[in-house]
Amino acid sequence: MEELLRSLALFRPETALVAGLLLVVVADSIGAAWRNAAVRLVTLASLAVALGFAFNLQASGAKAAIFSGMLVVDPLGAAFKVILIAAGLLTVLAFTFRNSRELHGLGQGELVALVLSLVLSSLLMAAANDLVMLYLALEMVSITSYVMVAYLKGDRMSNEASLKYVLFGAASTGTMLYGLSLLYGMTGTTSLPAIQAFLAGGIPEANRFAIYAITLLVLAGFGFKIAAVPFHFWCPDVYQGAATPVTALLSVLPKAAGLAITLRFFYGTFSAAGAGPWDLAGSINWGALVMVISVLTMTVGNVAALTQTNMKRLLAYSSIAHAGYLLMGVVALSENGARALLVYLAAYLFMNLGAFLVVTLVHLHEGSFDLRDYAGLYRRAPLLTVAMAFFLLSLVGIPPFVGFLGKLYVFGAVIEKGMGLFAVIGAVNAAIAAYYYFRVLKVMTIDAGNEDRPAIHLALADRAWLVAFALANVLPLLFWSRIDAWARGALVMYAGR
Amino acid sequence: MIGLQHYLVVSAALFSLGILGLLTRKNAVHVLMSIELILNSANVNLVAFSRFSAGNLGGQIFGVFVIVVAAAEVAVALAIVLTLYRLRRTPNLDETDILKG
Repeated sequence: MEELLRSLALFRPETALVAGLLLVVVADSIGAAWRNAAVRLVTLASLAVALGFAFNLQASGAKAAIFSGMLVVDPLGAAFKVILIAAGLLTVLAFTFRNSRELHGLGQGELVALVLSLVLSSLLMAAANDLVMLYLALEMVSITSYVMVAYLKGDRMSNEASLKYVLFGAASTGTMLYGLSLLYGMTGTTSLPAIQAFLAGGIPEANRFAIYAITLLVLAGFGFKIAAVPFHFWCPDVYQGAATPVTALLSVLPKAAGLAITLRFFYGTFSAAGAGPWDLAGSINWGALVMVISVLTMTVGNVAALTQTNMKRLLAYSSIAHAGYLLMGVVALSENGARALLVYLAAYLFMNLGAFLVVTLVHLHEGSFDLRDYAGLYRRAPLLTVAMAFFLLSLVGIPPFVGFLGKLYVFGAVIEKGMGLFAVIGAVNAAIAAYYYFRVLKVMTIDAGNEDRPAIHLALADRAWLVAFALANVLPLLFWSRIDAWARGALVMYAGR
Repeated sequence: MIGLQHYLVVSAALFSLGILGLLTRKNAVHVLMSIELILNSANVNLVAFSRFSAGNLGGQIFGVFVIVVAAAEVAVALAIVLTLYRLRRTPNLDETDILKG
């Protein structure tokens, strides 16, 4: 009983979301005229309360294993929780059923309940401390996102996207599960800290190959969540087929949760004391493996994005490329690497959500995701164009935007570890990426076309959110020392049962 | 005497058959059945390890959770396949090709 109460006290962000989820379901089933407003209010309230609790949790610096060692609470996990909940809150606030042409007129309750459970499950994923919990949380994220992608029921693109997502997802998590079962067989326990203790005791020669196989199998599951090459094939199709607000959420939440669990699994569990995190028993070097995946991910993402004409597909490939940069923080596997990961994720949250907001608004007024329909947008919607310029420049990584700082931290962490060539590959990729981001900008400002179409009048709320996101891409630089201190303070990982 | 190795061989065979079916089958329902094979191969592993080598019940409990999750996953997947059939009158994955590039 005491253990339960102690655990619940450290479980407040999740509790707030569960309460919100239940209230949303109840409010939605009442069926009165005010239910949409009630649903939205409850959602925003529970997300805001959860965000407050997560901040508190991080500030308190609590470190403990809760619920019989199933979950773990530590400052690093709490920092990831802040980012995850903030992503959910910003998406619900900025992307409404009013400004999305695809969601217009659909029932709000179901989608919002799905958003809440997606946030909840990604929090659990970021805090998993046991193979069972890891698998359950990962599947909960997956199944919720399948349903969200399939939300536009009569739409053939949405249906096809969800089908591809569910088949890819089930296959890769199944593969991961096979790896986890082998890991259980080798170590005889499902608890991550106990696995770490077992591995730190040295691996028998006969099991070396098994460890390699397990790493590859487990990476299939994590890579699918992060959308890393070669597990990225679902990503462009799903991003294109899903409703844009869903796409915006999916581009941040599963990726962040996947990186959190990758960091916890490899850094926390597969690291041996004294031998360096990657170098288990002096023979197996996972760093090289993840580095290859990172290089492939950013290169494939950027090169494939060059020829895209659909904005959602372009942003999908861009998000794959960003997954590659984010993985650089994992490859560095140092405190600075973890810090770079957090900073990059926070920056990625603002620039990516902003870009998707612009895509949503253009679709609302123009009814198109095609890059051709962005021509001449500068004359018809100056604010939209300027905001998009902020997001695109931030995605390129040009100072003084937050994207630049994310890249600075990531490259710095890698160079510090003596992987200069890796950083050079990253920089070359950033240059390739600049081409297609600037191409969008060029189409919007310079290209002629669509002169006969009327000017776009944005709603007040949409304008306010565009300005807010644009400022969020610049202003953090003024408070940089505080954000740096925040990320530095979050670098405590707890391993215990 | 049937030991751990026999179970591991069966599970590896199930896993390989699952992957093979996943790669070669065109019908979405067949692909879902292949995925079930993969999940169940992991279950065989978990239960066998729990019985023969780990000396605890962790693996069997894990197996029960996997069965529940697999049921939930298949429920969602079948609903999506049904929608596919209603929209296009086909369960074939070859014909789902409007999203590409």
